[in-house]
Amino acid sequence: MALAIELNGITKRFPGVVANDDIDLSVAAGEIHAICGENGAGKSTLMKILYGMQAPDEGTIKINGEPVELHSPAEAIELGIGMVHQHFMLADQLTVLENVILGAEPMRSLGRIDLEAGRRHLDEVGRAYGLDINSDDLVEALEVGERQRVEIIKVLYRGARILILDEPTAVLVPQEVDELFRNVRELKAAGATILFIDHKLDEVLSIADTITVLRQGRTVGTVKPDDVTAGDLAEMMIGSELPVPDAGASTVTSEVALEVSELTVRDAERPVVDHVSLKVRRGEIVGIAGVEGNGQAEMVSAIMGTRTPDAGTLAMLGRDITGASVRERRQMGLGYVPQDRHREGLLLAGPLWENTALGHQTEAPYSRAGWLSRPGMRARAEHVQADFDVRTPSIDVSAHALSGGNQQKLIVGREMVTEPAVLIANHPTRGIDVGAQAAVWEDIRAARADGLATLLISADLDELIGLSDTIFVMLRGRLVARLDPGTVTPRDLGAYMTGAAVEAGTQ
Amino acid sequence: MLARLPTWARWMLYAAAGVAVLTIVQGFDDTERLTAVTSSQAMLRWAVPIMLAGLGGLFSERAGVVNIGLEGMLILGTWFGAWGAINYGGWAGLATGMIGGALGGLVHAVATVTFGVDHIISGVAINVTAPGVTRFLSSEIFANYEGGSITQSPGTDGVGRFTFPLLAGGDLFGWESPDILGWFTRQDWFLVSDMTGLARGLVAQVSLATVLAFALVPLSAWVLWRTRFGLRLRICGEHPVGGESQGINIYLYKYYGVMISGGLAGLGGAFIASPELSGLYREGQTTGRGFIGLAALIFGNWRPSGTMAGALLFGYPFGIGLRDLDGSASHALLLVNTLALAAVTVWAVRRRRRFDAGLAAGLGLAAAVWYFMSSTVPNWWIDILPFVIVLLVLVFFSQRLRMPRADGLPYRRGES
Repeated sequence: MALAIELNGITKRFPGVVANDDIDLSVAAGEIHAICGENGAGKSTLMKILYGMQAPDEGTIKINGEPVELHSPAEAIELGIGMVHQHFMLADQLTVLENVILGAEPMRSLGRIDLEAGRRHLDEVGRAYGLDINSDDLVEALEVGERQRVEIIKVLYRGARILILDEPTAVLVPQEVDELFRNVRELKAAGATILFIDHKLDEVLSIADTITVLRQGRTVGTVKPDDVTAGDLAEMMIGSELPVPDAGASTVTSEVALEVSELTVRDAERPVVDHVSLKVRRGEIVGIAGVEGNGQAEMVSAIMGTRTPDAGTLAMLGRDITGASVRERRQMGLGYVPQDRHREGLLLAGPLWENTALGHQTEAPYSRAGWLSRPGMRARAEHVQADFDVRTPSIDVSAHALSGGNQQKLIVGREMVTEPAVLIANHPTRGIDVGAQAAVWEDIRAARADGLATLLISADLDELIGLSDTIFVMLRGRLVARLDPGTVTPRDLGAYMTGAAVEAGTQ
Repeated sequence: MLARLPTWARWMLYAAAGVAVLTIVQGFDDTERLTAVTSSQAMLRWAVPIMLAGLGGLFSERAGVVNIGLEGMLILGTWFGAWGAINYGGWAGLATGMIGGALGGLVHAVATVTFGVDHIISGVAINVTAPGVTRFLSSEIFANYEGGSITQSPGTDGVGRFTFPLLAGGDLFGWESPDILGWFTRQDWFLVSDMTGLARGLVAQVSLATVLAFALVPLSAWVLWRTRFGLRLRICGEHPVGGESQGINIYLYKYYGVMISGGLAGLGGAFIASPELSGLYREGQTTGRGFIGLAALIFGNWRPSGTMAGALLFGYPFGIGLRDLDGSASHALLLVNTLALAAVTVWAVRRRRRFDAGLAAGLGLAAAVWYFMSSTVPNWWIDILPFVIVLLVLVFFSQRLRMPRADGLPYRRGES
């Protein structure tokens, strides 16, 4: 079969790392070709090179048999390559139509855009590939799955015949994944070539015609899905079995550490957290599942004290903390792993020892008699570095020099070392590699055995099911279901998260 | 009910209500200055540079570059505008002012877009540098002119005037049309004549430069929302990486945006130096109007029509203050402030914004007490009033506003 894409000896170096090291890749026309690998294996860099966003240091690219040099996405688009990015490249305040036609606007005189022609073409593309979307909606109003459809239509509108889908399932619930796979198969039937980046092995095995595995910037091998099992793929990806989250035997006690009662937070008039009540006991991990933007962030802010609730009470260790300041809550033993470690978790330009004290800077040993204690902070930082396996040359390097996984281990270690009574873990393993992920899970598990009460908010359904003692599903600001992780499947969770399933009598 | 009216009709209604309030209020103070034709004309003249600076900010911030350097670009516009007007006439002055401002914009674009300098730092640098540049240029050029010095230029030439036909009796192809608004004004009907008087002041004997400036408002809206150029410019302010991934040269459009921004501010500067306001270039004559333009932009929620409304609102107290030697109009304005703050209080209470309601009620009460305890107010009050209005508007309404999402954020090609 003719080759749509042929990459030979692609090498790309960044300061300090080789992201792609002599990679070869051949993709036949009209197939679905999956690229697998851990975070940091070089998948995204390779795709950026293929899409002209970055230039390779060495190696050659052939598209449909022709050698090419790509300097910008515009040139890749010219060659019929389209990319659906993992982080959506859509402007919220623009309409679907405006987002789609951008860069290939149909024109009238005087530089005006011919919106009618654009709308017609968009509808044609949608019909031809079975993708349904209302072109005049603001992107802001769309669900995640719909946004992804807009992204796909965007590249098809430009006439792309080779589609790169960069971790398209990362943001979707299982039902939306099914829908996406249906669309992808239709695209293939219509003659498109698809490059599918993913690291969820069951998905890869079900959708791909051919799989290429990358590890540490190198090609490990190219296989057919019928010839391998998920275990084989995992071994190719990381050199060993994939770790799975597992909490082990229950350590739940009867002592309530955190009690949220009828918590309500309003944004303007609309309740974004709507009469939420839950209890977290010592030794218990309570998981919160939900599609992002259903009130989880606001609930966390209210519990942490960065946002004043409009109604309801919060109690910690039997004491009412509804009116307590953030610092009072922290000093009482409220630990926090924020969702966005760069914005909320770290001072990226500060040294690790300074970062270790963040959030606890008023407590011993970080400060004494109202003054910060540098020796105290440094000693603690070294302790955290050793005990929580933060891989760094020294505690004097700045936080942005660390990989995402090590940054996260530092944050988790910083919280754990103060022996909190309650931990709010907001997406604790988002965007970190499997090694660090396993370490964070282990830290939470160990603290749970010592009596830590944990509220775990996560988008990783396997993580939620594996770690939690109880799972609540949050939808439109309310807890709509309480589920037993022992019996629930990711598919069930997905149904509750999207409102497809409703549990009777919750709350 | 109001929401169902077309936008222009709603604004007309708001304006009419505003005039009604002014008319009633000025009765208490025995002044007619609040609704005098000269006042509306003064408001217009003061609003133009603010509006042009605001529109300039619009193009820059829609392209994702915060332009705090508008003030500096305005200053460049005054100098270049005066120079062009003195040497080549009024229209040339507007053109050279625009070019001068655009050069300031170019500097800002090079710093922020090409070199990734923080937008605020670059903008402040331009504000600090511009007066130095114009002082230097004046010492080299204006100081050699008859009547010029290192701080000011000789008098400048203006452009022609225009009276709208029918509305204010202007000529229409040689035919002297009826003066409809003028007729109403002469009838001396309560309220109606006040309003038509005001309106006539806005359409009779207006400078063509003013007409041009107001024509730029719908033109800006059309460019930004109807053309390919506008769509590509707006993606720079909303999601530049997304634009890049669709093959848009983000740097190029940011350059366009910031240079247009400078050009519009420069035009505003040229207007300040024209006979409409000053009739010459003088150091320090922009008096912070670049910043007020930025406030008008924010007040207008990053839209051209809103920016215009903001400019008129902020321009009004300047226009009143200009002729208010005895302070009676300023005194009457205190009562207007009280009423406005009372309205804000009601609005805040209905939205359950306790802090805002308390603040507005407190300030309103203070204005009321001052009003009833005095019969006139000192000059400094009218001088700072526009700035007080700017501050209050931003305090109470900024939460309802939405700036372009990527406004002010650094963008580097290929780093996402």
